[in-house]
Amino acid sequence: MNSPSKSALIAELGELRTRLEGAEETLRAIRGGEVDAFVIESAAGPQVYTLQGQDAEASRIRGEMLAQVSDAVIAVDDEMRIFYLNAAAERLYGLAASHGLGQSVSKIYELRWLHPGDEAAAQTALCERGEWRGENVHVRPDGRELNVESGITVLRDIAGQPTGLLAVIRDVTERKAREDKVLVSETRYRRLFEAAHDGVLIVDPDTRKIVEANPFMTQLLGYPHDQLVGKELYQIGLLKDEAASQKMVRKLKRTSQVRYEDLPLENQRGQHQEVEVVANLYDESGHPVIQCNIRDITERKRTEEHVRMLMAEVNHRAKNLLAVVQAVAVQTAKHGDAATFVSRLSERIVGLAAGQDLLVSNQWQGVEVSDLVTAQLAHFKDLIGTRVLLAGPAARLTPDAAQGIGMALHELATNAAKYGALSNSEGRVRITWHVTAETKPRFLMSWLEDNGPKVVAPARVGFGQIVIGRMAEAAVQGVAEIKYGDTGFSWNLSAPLKNALT
Amino acid sequence: MDQMPTIHDTQQKACILIVEDEPMLAFALEEFLIDAGFEIVGVAGRIETALAMIESGGFDAAILDANLAGVSAGPAALALRARGVPFIVVSGYLASQQQSAFKGALCLQKPCPPDRLIQALRSILTA
Repeated sequence: MNSPSKSALIAELGELRTRLEGAEETLRAIRGGEVDAFVIESAAGPQVYTLQGQDAEASRIRGEMLAQVSDAVIAVDDEMRIFYLNAAAERLYGLAASHGLGQSVSKIYELRWLHPGDEAAAQTALCERGEWRGENVHVRPDGRELNVESGITVLRDIAGQPTGLLAVIRDVTERKAREDKVLVSETRYRRLFEAAHDGVLIVDPDTRKIVEANPFMTQLLGYPHDQLVGKELYQIGLLKDEAASQKMVRKLKRTSQVRYEDLPLENQRGQHQEVEVVANLYDESGHPVIQCNIRDITERKRTEEHVRMLMAEVNHRAKNLLAVVQAVAVQTAKHGDAATFVSRLSERIVGLAAGQDLLVSNQWQGVEVSDLVTAQLAHFKDLIGTRVLLAGPAARLTPDAAQGIGMALHELATNAAKYGALSNSEGRVRITWHVTAETKPRFLMSWLEDNGPKVVAPARVGFGQIVIGRMAEAAVQGVAEIKYGDTGFSWNLSAPLKNALT
Repeated sequence: MDQMPTIHDTQQKACILIVEDEPMLAFALEEFLIDAGFEIVGVAGRIETALAMIESGGFDAAILDANLAGVSAGPAALALRARGVPFIVVSGYLASQQQSAFKGALCLQKPCPPDRLIQALRSILTA
């Protein structure tokens, strides 16, 4: 071991004393506030340290303040290593100071920009102005995303060279979520407002002027949007006059809702419309607003009118039919035996009902001749095609003709079954119809019986005779011809085509 | 007819025009009025026929069905009024559904008991 000589030790001690004195002098200068910055030589070259707080007390107060503020404060050096973070920053990123200090900032959050150009803009701002403010997203190591508003300032040394960054970071995640929710809600309700098939007007209760109108309102009234805004309701024809407008607002202030049904409205094109108006007084964050919903009820009114008309028609027809039943009852009683009254009347009512069914199933637009014959001969349906033969083209009888001819067919069938071709086992009935080829075409229909028992004209004109005779004639304004021939009974009806067919 | 009042012997029979599109009802009405001692000047089932018959005149009163094959009998009512001929409206419509042309006329509802119709006819003839 080679021990140093005494003189060398003395020399070294002297040098250490000098250096200690220098250090004490520096410390004194720093404490006394005489030093703003100092340069330390190191292996990497000289490094400048600025001393912003010369006063320990001031520095302590500053530290306290930073610990108290709710915004996170982080200072990083030029290699993005953290050399300061306050309590709020520890809370925000969920770490202890001891874990944060000296760490690269990328260890405590991952930076994500909101828009593509943001990062470049931030770099430019920091280079040119030394500061940047804006919003971005910090993703914590646990994956939680924070929406933050940051203010970043460049830290510089005494020579003005950048040494790091100071960031003041505010967590706006909750506010952002609330804003997003409001935005979604606004978009959704705006869409409803824009697409509604009801007119919506927002009116200021103080000025009674329209402040907002949806597109349907424009469509309804024919005024463009900018002509609606600023007008009073009476100016767009919604209320009679200014007095009515004032009255509505007064009433709204008392009752919060006013409803006008059947308000006649004339749009700018002069068309008349029926509208229903419901006005409500609402509170919008302390400001009263009137919302008017205007519904076009023209179509509904038209439908109601149509239903009213149909009901009147149904009433008329039902009572007409009852009057017919009454007349048939009187006639049946008058022209027939008391013993057969009930059965004859019942059959005739059934015949009338069958005619009704056919008319209704054809929307009262007429009845096919073959359908009418089949319906009125329902009792003899097994004979149709054998002893009862139908022949004729497709032809549609008017409702009146169908009723008259239907009743006649009913009587013809009843008579045939009682006295004529259907009263034995060989007789036949041929029912034919056609349209003549004259200039004024006629509709001809005939009922011809043969092979039945010999028939003779009845001594007394019964109700059946009246139905197949003058009543059938009246139904089609035509001529009915009735014959009791040797070969059997026959009935021929001839009518102008237009009276019989649709 | 035998049991009808004796006025037919001393007075001329009142002539009636029937305007009714339903043949069964027209027929029943006609028969009933004849039995009751009235004379029927004609039966019209369509508005055109009715107007022509009103134009020809020769009757003391008319019975009018409000609806003729879907067409209002209103013009017939106006024509009768213009000539000062009394008439009765018979219809299946409710009073509230009645058209304005029949306002003020004596209206009977269908179905109408025949006696009431005769009574109404006599009242308008003597008015």
